[in-house]
Amino acid sequence: MFANSKRIKRNKTIDKVFRYLFMGMAVLSASFIIIIVAFVCIKGISPFLPGYEFGQVDLWSFLTGSVYRQDTATYGVGFIIINTLICSFLALLLSFPISVLTSLFIAKIAPKKLGAAMQSVIELLASVPSVVYGIFASGVITAMVRSLAASLGIATFGGSSLLAVIILLAIMIFPTLTSMSITAIKAVDKDLESASLALGATKTQTNFKVVLTAAKSGIFAGAILGLGRAFGEATAVSMVAGNKLFGPTFDLFDITRTLTSTMLTGLKETSGLDYDIRFSVGLVLIVVIFASNWILNQVKKRIGNQV
Amino acid sequence: MTRKRKDGALNFLTYLSSAIGVLILGSILLYLVVTGASSINWHLLSSDYYAETGNAAVSETYTYTAPGSYSGEGYYSDTWGIAFNDVSTAHGDDEIAVVYVDPNSPFASLYSTVAGDDNAAVTLSEGSIVSNIYYLDANGESVFLSRGGMENAENLVNILEENATGIVSINYETLGGGIRGSIVVTLYLILISLLISLPIGIGAAIYLHEYAAKTKINSLIRQGIDTLTGVPSIVYGLMGVTVLFPVTQMVGANSTSVLLGGLTLAIILLPTIISSTEEALIVVPQSLRDGSLSLGATKSQTIFKVVLPCAVNGILTGVLLGIGRVIGESAALVYTTSTVISDNPTLLSQGTSLALMIWSIMSGEQPNYELASAISLIILVIVFVINFVVKLIGKRFARSFM
Repeated sequence: MFANSKRIKRNKTIDKVFRYLFMGMAVLSASFIIIIVAFVCIKGISPFLPGYEFGQVDLWSFLTGSVYRQDTATYGVGFIIINTLICSFLALLLSFPISVLTSLFIAKIAPKKLGAAMQSVIELLASVPSVVYGIFASGVITAMVRSLAASLGIATFGGSSLLAVIILLAIMIFPTLTSMSITAIKAVDKDLESASLALGATKTQTNFKVVLTAAKSGIFAGAILGLGRAFGEATAVSMVAGNKLFGPTFDLFDITRTLTSTMLTGLKETSGLDYDIRFSVGLVLIVVIFASNWILNQVKKRIGNQV
Repeated sequence: MTRKRKDGALNFLTYLSSAIGVLILGSILLYLVVTGASSINWHLLSSDYYAETGNAAVSETYTYTAPGSYSGEGYYSDTWGIAFNDVSTAHGDDEIAVVYVDPNSPFASLYSTVAGDDNAAVTLSEGSIVSNIYYLDANGESVFLSRGGMENAENLVNILEENATGIVSINYETLGGGIRGSIVVTLYLILISLLISLPIGIGAAIYLHEYAAKTKINSLIRQGIDTLTGVPSIVYGLMGVTVLFPVTQMVGANSTSVLLGGLTLAIILLPTIISSTEEALIVVPQSLRDGSLSLGATKSQTIFKVVLPCAVNGILTGVLLGIGRVIGESAALVYTTSTVISDNPTLLSQGTSLALMIWSIMSGEQPNYELASAISLIILVIVFVINFVVKLIGKRFARSFM
């Protein structure tokens, strides 16, 4: 009896230890997001504080500046923020209709086998690493842009251009958008479809008018996710952006510069203002992503309520 | 009729959109195969990236023994036991390369005459480009045979066969352009990141699914982990170099290192591991847990002996997806392992993974599309195989509890 109760006590202690161990791991995992934001904040803000060792940078001219040059230590990211927004939103605009139609095809229209094959294509596209898209972009997309520009009589910088970035990003967010809308479309209540069909609508009418409308909110969530990816995409974009020193860039055939390409290019030394300012750019990137997420989620709530 | 036509047009649009997706995947693969496939060979996988020039003399202890025969590619010198072939380098130059060295050949017992090498023995690796050769003529005098004098591989073999009575020394250049170092770094990164993120990720998933009640704190924890997936990888890189660099400094790193890259990747993998483990835990029937508990097992016993073995598929999926992510990751590593390609990487030295090597050779002054595409093809094949296996596991898994 005594030995037994001792064992129970020991088991209880072991249970407790594991419980706290698992909890600790969960808390640790969750706390990384705070650690990431906190440390990038601390390091990113430091160049704007008085007493910064490499010479204090003016926050206002950093945020609103329209020139970013490493050689003259002129750091302004205002135009880069605008560039990043332009690239990402235009990429979304290009990719959105194609991916919604594709997801409708996979989920509703295609014969079963063709749909499954198409789904595999989307999954493979999703698993292609960013650098590989980068090579494709600098080898193929730039060549396409170059010949398009040549046929219009416009000179480009070897094809690196705003247009190339937009096409690249549209391709890269395509799998995200598509798989999110597939999920949303598949989640639509079958009764809605049946009702529409019973009222005499054709299958296609039902798909386009009823299913897509009902899946609106989920599709929009996919768009938000895709936009986040477009903002944060780094290596592939910097292979074709061209890194313009000033801006913003509105001409499709002109080179551009995004927040991520700014952080990646010309990285040589691991100290000094040119290195630290990259953290400030990273901080701006985080803020842009969070802000756009928040705004779009508000929009999504409005759209969702209308159904 | 018009309704039918309109419907047909709309349906056609969806077919068209899908075709665009197929076209994109197809053209990516086609481009990579056309540019890179011819560069993939054993040499690429097994050799160094940096070309080295070597200067080696035949060892004085070498006594001539007749070499064996050779029937492979190139022109073979029966007397000297070495085969050469004409090659064209990545820069488009015509060169003469060593394709085979017989063990009895004087070229198999060389020592380095480069200052600082202390006469260390060297092997003339296959693929090395010949710059010049000193041989002994009929009078026993040393003759200098320049690259121009060789003309081509066939002529070089003829000269050696007809004029040479002995070999003195050879100047050569190793081919370079290999990815061995990057393969090693990639393996290191996979190992480190999984070693750290697996236990933490599985533990966190167990807590979230087996323990966590629906409290505010727990939903906050879940939200925190979910938010991690949305963080761009370049931001992880920034975090790695500030937060984790001091950790690697404690074990002796004084610059960015492979270890730092691995630690950063461990955090990137966490959400993946957690979510795939948790998905597997959800599928484990509650009756199994109840059965185990009612038989008197403790909660931790139930988790380790009943629940986790059932969830092993999900954990395996997480591991595979993690490997795929590590192989493809580049932006986070630019800041943490540096973009310096290394031939002899260690945990504490800088180096590039395969994906980062692509970035490194593409962002240089003269991008090497052939090499980059070849590496991409290798990466893609691995990633696609992983994708396939994950799907297979998912299918078997879905059946196992039905």
